Amino acid sequence: MTQPLDNFAQTAADWRKTLRTNNRKTCFVIAVFFLIYFAIGMLVDVYINAGHYPQATLSQIFMGLITFQLFPLVTLIMLCVAAISLLITFSACDKIMLLGTEYHEITPTTAQNVAEQQLYNVVEEMKIAAGLQFMPRVFIIEADYMNAFASGYSEKSAMVAITRGLMQKLNRSELQAVMAHELSHIRHLDIKLTLMASVLANLIVIVLDMFFYTAVFSNRSSDDRSRNGLLTIIIILRYVLPIINILLLLYLSRTREYMADAGSVELMRDNQPLASALLKISDDHQQNQDQYSADYRNTPHENVRREAYIFDPVQAGIEPVASLSDAFSTHPNIKDRLAALGFKSNGK
Amino acid sequence: MSTGMIIVIVLLVLAGFIVMTYNSLIALIEAVRNNQKQIDIQLDRRYKVFESLINVVKKYMDYEQTTLKDVVALRNTAQQAKANGDQQGRIDAENKISTIASNLNVVFEQYPDLKANQNCIQLQEEIVSTENKLAYAKQSYNDSIEHYNATKKSFFTAMIVGVFKGKLDFDYPYWQLSQDKVAEQENYTVKL
Repeated sequence: MTQPLDNFAQTAADWRKTLRTNNRKTCFVIAVFFLIYFAIGMLVDVYINAGHYPQATLSQIFMGLITFQLFPLVTLIMLCVAAISLLITFSACDKIMLLGTEYHEITPTTAQNVAEQQLYNVVEEMKIAAGLQFMPRVFIIEADYMNAFASGYSEKSAMVAITRGLMQKLNRSELQAVMAHELSHIRHLDIKLTLMASVLANLIVIVLDMFFYTAVFSNRSSDDRSRNGLLTIIIILRYVLPIINILLLLYLSRTREYMADAGSVELMRDNQPLASALLKISDDHQQNQDQYSADYRNTPHENVRREAYIFDPVQAGIEPVASLSDAFSTHPNIKDRLAALGFKSNGK
Repeated sequence: MSTGMIIVIVLLVLAGFIVMTYNSLIALIEAVRNNQKQIDIQLDRRYKVFESLINVVKKYMDYEQTTLKDVVALRNTAQQAKANGDQQGRIDAENKISTIASNLNVVFEQYPDLKANQNCIQLQEEIVSTENKLAYAKQSYNDSIEHYNATKKSFFTAMIVGVFKGKLDFDYPYWQLSQDKVAEQENYTVKL
């Protein structure tokens, strides 16, 4: 019998190191987002004040805003808007994740057979290993394709969901590895983080758009050079920033996937089950490509789960939704993930 | 800005740093304590689960009454050792209960009819899960000790710990097996 990992050489991988490096990358991405957000607000403020004080240079206005001699109104409003929209998103996020799927919840009392009981058990075991203060709710999605995802970050909203196909095709330890990966997303607060980043990214684009149209179509014939210089910057930013945003978001998402993989190894102290589970999922998607793409396509709202899935169906050539971001991947390549887990391909 | 102002700001920042470090260490200490109790919870759960499991098993086979008695006796030894603060005695007793659990699994293997029985598959799953939960509770306990020790001994934090020795400095032993036990386990092989 051939094992899924036969073509790979096993080496020791340091999950502590993976966690550390990817944590640094996350801090970097979040810092860049806040910096961009702040910079856009400042840009608008400088632009407005340049109209009020035509004789001042841009750097003088900027210094004035930084030291609060001029009131940075737009920057502060933008910060307030960001805070409010983040609060709203956080409170609503757990409701949208299961949209469109056929699912049912598993509890110790409602488990219908040993397999479901086993699923609940492995999640509970991983919860103990992670030292989580609460037990996430466990859902089974009635679908043939192999996938799983997690959502939430607190007692109320934490949940893990797994498709029937995945549950049936993996053995106990592989199932446990997948669940450890999902629980790691929860304990790393990934949902909160990616939500925050995408809300900020969207706000940046909205603000920039509003500002762009007011600046371009305002009839105030300002001849002063500094304002025209700023206008050029705004026009360039309007087309460049959305792309930068997407790239940053995808980079963040991939980073968090590596961290969740490492977190799974941290909980299980064994890298083999997750590696073989990932390979099984990937191979299975390749083999049943046609059927699964129909399945994915027939499930409404598939795009809300795409980032959260353990395996990105797009990688297997299955495109549940067509959008600009499909050109890039939310998940690292399966080979890279296995390499990070300590499984080097023996080459083909 | 006057020198006085700068000194005040530096002092404020310093005080903030000390408070934050103090609080995070307290959180880490409580996590260690909670995880320590988590082991107790899992041991307690295992005792109760196995007791009922063995009762069920008895219906299917003429399994010696002694097993249950052994578990109860070992359980009492463990609890007594715990009350006396004898960590080693407790670990020994709990490990013996684990041996009984693996024997139960072997018994299942010997009866094909029994093995196919849905109830017994369920029992096996329950045994595996129970032992796993206990092992993961121990792992989680050791992880929280690692986290606490690493923070406690790192630079700057160590200085603050030095000031509040009574409140912040504890020495938690990792959950581990004795040297003899390790040697014994290492030599263990499955006899078929």
